[in-house]
Amino acid sequence: MTDTRRRLVLAGHGMAGQRLLEAVTDRAPGAWRITVLAEEPRPAYDRVHLTSWFSGTTAEDLSLWPAGFAAEHDIDLRLDDPVTAVDRAARTVTTRSGHTVAYDALVLATGSRPFVPPVPGHDTPGCFVYRTIEDLEAIRDRAAHTGVGTVVGGGLLGLEAAGALREMGLHTHVVEFAPRLMAVQVDEGGGAALRRRIEELGVVVHTGVGGQAVGAGADGTVDSLTLSDGRTLATGMVVFSAGVRPRDELARSCGLPVGERGGIVVDTRCRTADPHIWAVGECAQAADGRVHGLVAPAYAMAEAAAEDITGGDGAFTGYEAATKLKLLGVDVASFGDAHGTGDGALEVLYSNTRAGVYKKLVVAPDGRLLGGVLVGDAAAYDLLRPLAAAGTPPATPPEQLVLPTPEGGAAGPVTLPDEAVVCSCHNVTKGAVRAAVSEGGCADVAAVKRCTRAGTGCGSCVRMLTTLVDDELAAGGAPVTKGLCEHFAHTRAELFEIVRVKNVTTFSRLIDEHGSGGEGCDVCKPVVGSILATLNPRLGNSVHILDGEQAALQDTNDHFLANLQRNGSYSVVPRVPGGEITPEGLITIGEIARDFGLYTKITGGQRIDLFGATVDQLPLIWRRLVDAGFESGHAYGKALRTVKSCVGQTWCRYGVQDSVALAIELELRYRGLRSPHKVKAAVSGCARECAEARSKDFGVIATSAGWNLYVGGNGGMTPRHADLLLTDADHATLLRTIDRFLMFYVRTADRLERTAPWIERMEGGLEHLRAVVVDDALGICDELDALMARHTETYEDEWRATLEDPERLRRFVSFANAPGTPDPTVRFLPERGQIRPAREHEAVAAR
Amino acid sequence: MTPRRIAVVGAGMAAARFAHQALALAGPGELDITLYGREPHAPYNRALLTGVLAGRYGATALGLPTGGAAVRAGAEVTDIDPAARTLRTATGEAARYDALVLATGAGPLPAPVPPPPAADRPDADGHRAPERHAPRRGVHVLRSLADAARLTEDVPLARRATVVGGGALGVDAARVLAGRGLRVHLVHRAPHLMDRHLDAGAAAVVRRGLEAVGVTVLTGREVTALLGGARVTGLAFADGGRHATDLVVLACGVRPRTRLARAAGLTVRDGVVVDDTLATSAPGVYAIGDCAEHRGVVHGRAEAAWAQADVLAARLSGARPGARYAGSPRFLRLSAGGLQVAAIGDSTGDSTGGDGSPTDTVHLADATRGSYKKLLLRGDRLVGALLVGDLTGVADLTAVHERSEPVPRDPLHLLTTEGALQ
Ligand SMILES: Cc1cc2nc3c(=O)[nH]c(=O)nc-3n(C[C@H](O)[C@H](O)[C@H](O)COP(=O)(O)OP(=O)(O)OC[C@H]3O[C@@H](n4cnc5c(N)ncnc54)[C@H](O)[C@@H]3O)c2cc1C
Ligand SMILES: Cc1cc2nc3c(=O)[nH]c(=O)nc-3n(C[C@H](O)[C@H](O)[C@H](O)COP(=O)(O)OP(=O)(O)OC[C@H]3O[C@@H](n4cnc5c(N)ncnc54)[C@H](O)[C@@H]3O)c2cc1C
Ligand code: SF4
Repeated sequence: MTDTRRRLVLAGHGMAGQRLLEAVTDRAPGAWRITVLAEEPRPAYDRVHLTSWFSGTTAEDLSLWPAGFAAEHDIDLRLDDPVTAVDRAARTVTTRSGHTVAYDALVLATGSRPFVPPVPGHDTPGCFVYRTIEDLEAIRDRAAHTGVGTVVGGGLLGLEAAGALREMGLHTHVVEFAPRLMAVQVDEGGGAALRRRIEELGVVVHTGVGGQAVGAGADGTVDSLTLSDGRTLATGMVVFSAGVRPRDELARSCGLPVGERGGIVVDTRCRTADPHIWAVGECAQAADGRVHGLVAPAYAMAEAAAEDITGGDGAFTGYEAATKLKLLGVDVASFGDAHGTGDGALEVLYSNTRAGVYKKLVVAPDGRLLGGVLVGDAAAYDLLRPLAAAGTPPATPPEQLVLPTPEGGAAGPVTLPDEAVVCSCHNVTKGAVRAAVSEGGCADVAAVKRCTRAGTGCGSCVRMLTTLVDDELAAGGAPVTKGLCEHFAHTRAELFEIVRVKNVTTFSRLIDEHGSGGEGCDVCKPVVGSILATLNPRLGNSVHILDGEQAALQDTNDHFLANLQRNGSYSVVPRVPGGEITPEGLITIGEIARDFGLYTKITGGQRIDLFGATVDQLPLIWRRLVDAGFESGHAYGKALRTVKSCVGQTWCRYGVQDSVALAIELELRYRGLRSPHKVKAAVSGCARECAEARSKDFGVIATSAGWNLYVGGNGGMTPRHADLLLTDADHATLLRTIDRFLMFYVRTADRLERTAPWIERMEGGLEHLRAVVVDDALGICDELDALMARHTETYEDEWRATLEDPERLRRFVSFANAPGTPDPTVRFLPERGQIRPAREHEAVAAR
Repeated sequence: MTPRRIAVVGAGMAAARFAHQALALAGPGELDITLYGREPHAPYNRALLTGVLAGRYGATALGLPTGGAAVRAGAEVTDIDPAARTLRTATGEAARYDALVLATGAGPLPAPVPPPPAADRPDADGHRAPERHAPRRGVHVLRSLADAARLTEDVPLARRATVVGGGALGVDAARVLAGRGLRVHLVHRAPHLMDRHLDAGAAAVVRRGLEAVGVTVLTGREVTALLGGARVTGLAFADGGRHATDLVVLACGVRPRTRLARAAGLTVRDGVVVDDTLATSAPGVYAIGDCAEHRGVVHGRAEAAWAQADVLAARLSGARPGARYAGSPRFLRLSAGGLQVAAIGDSTGDSTGGDGSPTDTVHLADATRGSYKKLLLRGDRLVGALLVGDLTGVADLTAVHERSEPVPRDPLHLLTTEGALQ
């Protein structure tokens, strides 16, 4: 019986060769009679993970040759029998053992050979290369008999070899001719970071020098390496890792064209000049004119050749070099235009010498990500490489992309567009992965791998794949957490209780003991700042919110004890209790506004807001205000704002009580009380309600018999009329009830929850509230009273205290080195006889 | 009780601060402070002069409070006699004092050019004798309101301006002049701008910022001569090159004004030497501000001048007789339009750790936003910091540096915290 199948001969059974076999048998099962001629004594294995052999991964583990593969596809694999000649006319190859095999299609996948510089003594026993399992066996044997090893070559493979030597307990040197390590992949800064990390591991790095001669000892084996700068290193072995050269000797000898610097010339289908011969992997010079030394392009070439051989339409046009490796435990990655050679390319850099991290992105003027280098922390590689390949500007600001990912990982593959390729070995997009989950019914990573092949190449994308699959699976019903933020699984109320009960005095302790640890964020820091501000007197902390650690916890507004306005200027609001102000007070405010060129406006809270101050002016303005007897109005804080009042009995014909006096008393009593949100109040002198007390968090309306207390009102976007809590109360009861109401609110409300939603959310609502604060149903009123008493006792005017303390003042002064230097980003234009902030376009024009 | 008479020579930023603080701290009638100033103005905020040039402030907007001290404007002090405790002014006034405070500040250095004819040479205080030899028209310095006024008048007469000196003042002046419609060149001797405070990367950001507003920056160029007749027409460089210009602003640094102190026999090195109590070598004579040299350093910045003024005020008012001045950290802030620069402490990483520990850097730079931030750390201390473009966190950094607090576990935190402008 004659075999009618066409004959495919594969020369070289390495990574590309094996991929070709899989692709051909996959596309055209049974169509080809396949002979594989291999030089190595074992079938193809995973060379990329070769180094893991030292740490116990066996040759079997590394094997890429599935059991039964040969039988299933009737492949004739001949090990240890390399091709020695090709007869293109006869279409046969000859092997070392003398066999001749005929082909219809010949694929050369002979890889590359390590380049050994022709220095004297380079072949002395004790000199090695680093390419095959046999090389590693020899290195291990030698390592058992020497204490020092030297690697010549500080590139990717050299460092991998150095890592292996070090792991075996050798004192290790790396000798690199270029001025930095991994010169091909990383830039100067990256090389420096890498060097530092590697030296910390005890590896001695010599850059800018070459190996000049290998010396031998009495036993004829390596005992030294002389360097080009004249120094001699005592070493028991030398591993050459000075680059690789394509193994194109077969092609040369049969007259196929090879590239200038080696590599069998192929077209986009990976065909050589001979239509019956293909070349793939590291032995080929691809259609882009380059010899690629990584597995991903080798695979892509194998796929393209298999397409062509089986009558399909594959193409390999080039590959954007990208690598991610762990060398000596140090993550190193580079992708795209890592050196920023493009026109007008801009760099975005983060480096931290202490952490040994260096990350650089290259960004085009239009915002597209062009490439980058990551050393020491390559976690972002999975995300960045596809972003660079996507060709559209990323949605995230580039600085965010280089900053260390916060624990819990914020910037994930969510930010990738669907077209982004996540697995470059198999060209699988993020969209395809998502579709495999949502439409293809894949329920885990393994299924997605089977269905899309993503993650089955070099494996570098598996981590991202996992996130993508998880995200997609979770997309239906993300679990709702009621925690404050990623740092605390507690609500504000729960945190308040923790601080109160356990006497936690600092944010750092709270986050370490009850949160995730770390530094916190803009959500939890102000919340804890506010809780501490309320409890500080009790905890024995300083009550000043700019002291110590507390300063860092505050909102921006609190940071400078002023309100940030739209153009970066601040506004200043002195307290005018009850809205009552003397003519002198008005004049002082007027003079200050005039002297500092501030815009003035009467606020809805019956006081005067001065706009347009710069940070450094704040202490100067407040100096004058404080001297004139004014205090902070806490307009910047989540705290009591004002207690508005009508003119009341004193002047008004209808008034039945002195609403102004009460308003002043209340405002002074609760000033400075830090709370989950701002608190507004009002007092009206009769039922005509001129002070609009029922739109406030608490409002008091005079009756002929005393005072009615209303709580939980709100103006603004969600207006709500306040509920009646007390009727005809006497003065003492009124104060006590408001004390408790406020403290209960401070203690149990959520972050940024006004009293209105707080009451609405409360189980039992107003009734419950009344039970707690009027009837002490929870037995906590003593404590609420005590907290409020402490507050009123320890209250100090933040601005006065700030001005008195040079330490605190420094915050403002240092902001502008020459106190008085205004912030130039702050610009104003005149309007209606005062100033107003310049608008965006005006600001630019004004420069 | 007769009040203690304190005479202050110079009515500048240090003087005003001293008077204001001392009078606030002393009991009523305890002190009698007189400020003698050569300039025809009461004290004003000199650091805002470029703002005057930019038209942002009128001359009167810059006045500084003096706490009610007597101010003799236009009264240059010509002699002091520490033994007799007397002084004399150019206006013929003679006065006795109990304590004398030298606050004469610093005067601009001339351009690094060959000396003009002897009579035209500036005196030790950087002042030329105006009647005899007027300086070439079109050549300016920027140290006083008068300088700013003269320069403002000259701007409409020029199309091309050249600023010599690429320090903070030169950079700011160049920006302002460009904003007033001139074609501006900024010439700097060192390879990069603001080299005393910035590393090359940060300086590159500043340079781009200047270029964005139309300033042409020439670095590594040394000016050797001003060319022209009565009015300047150009500059010559050490490399033989020439450059045409209608207006020159010299911003080549300042020199402490020490003439009085020298004449009175006080110890003077670069500045009038003072100890931690701000006392000079003569009993009853103190020096503060840009004219003073403390522990070998002439600070030349308002903040240091004010810190010295505060200490001296605390001592002389009797409020804190033991107050001492221990020095001010190196600090520079430039707010020049879109150009925002802050350099704190050893911002260029020149110093070495006494304990031999290496200097670590945390570096965050985003050329797409023109921001450049760098922390220099030794052990758990911040030894320096550089912020360009985005000054987020500058207040916290200054505080951490000044108090020599341990930095947080993740120092990056210092660069990315909520800041003033977020
Ligand atoms: C230690 C190490 C770590 C690496 N790490 C990475 C990595 O992290 N990422 C990455 O992308 N790449 C890595 N690489 C490179 C990657 O292994 C290669 O790109 C890939 O193996 C190329 O496949 P190939 O089939 O072209 O060549 P090879 O895998 O080298 O296969 C070629 C085979 O052909 C045989 N052969 C040669 N001549 C003949 C002949 N005449 N007849 C028969 N057989 C012949 C050779 O013996 C060899 O078995 C690493 C390489 C090494 C050595
Ligand atoms: C344009 C410009 C911008 C600046 N920007 C900043 C900045 O952003 N940040 C910063 O920290 N610093 C800045 N400075 C520096 C700051 O202005 C000085 O550090 C500060 O003014 C020093 O104060 P002083 O009182 O010591 O000297 P000055 O303010 O110079 O005052 C000295 C005064 O003494 C007078 N005087 C001298 N001799 C006599 C005499 N014999 N008799 C009477 N009077 C005399 C002088 O005429 C002068 O008025 C800037 C300076 C300039 C010029
Ligand atoms: S609320 Fe009553 S007392 Fe007050 S102003 Fe109005 S009418 Fe007069």
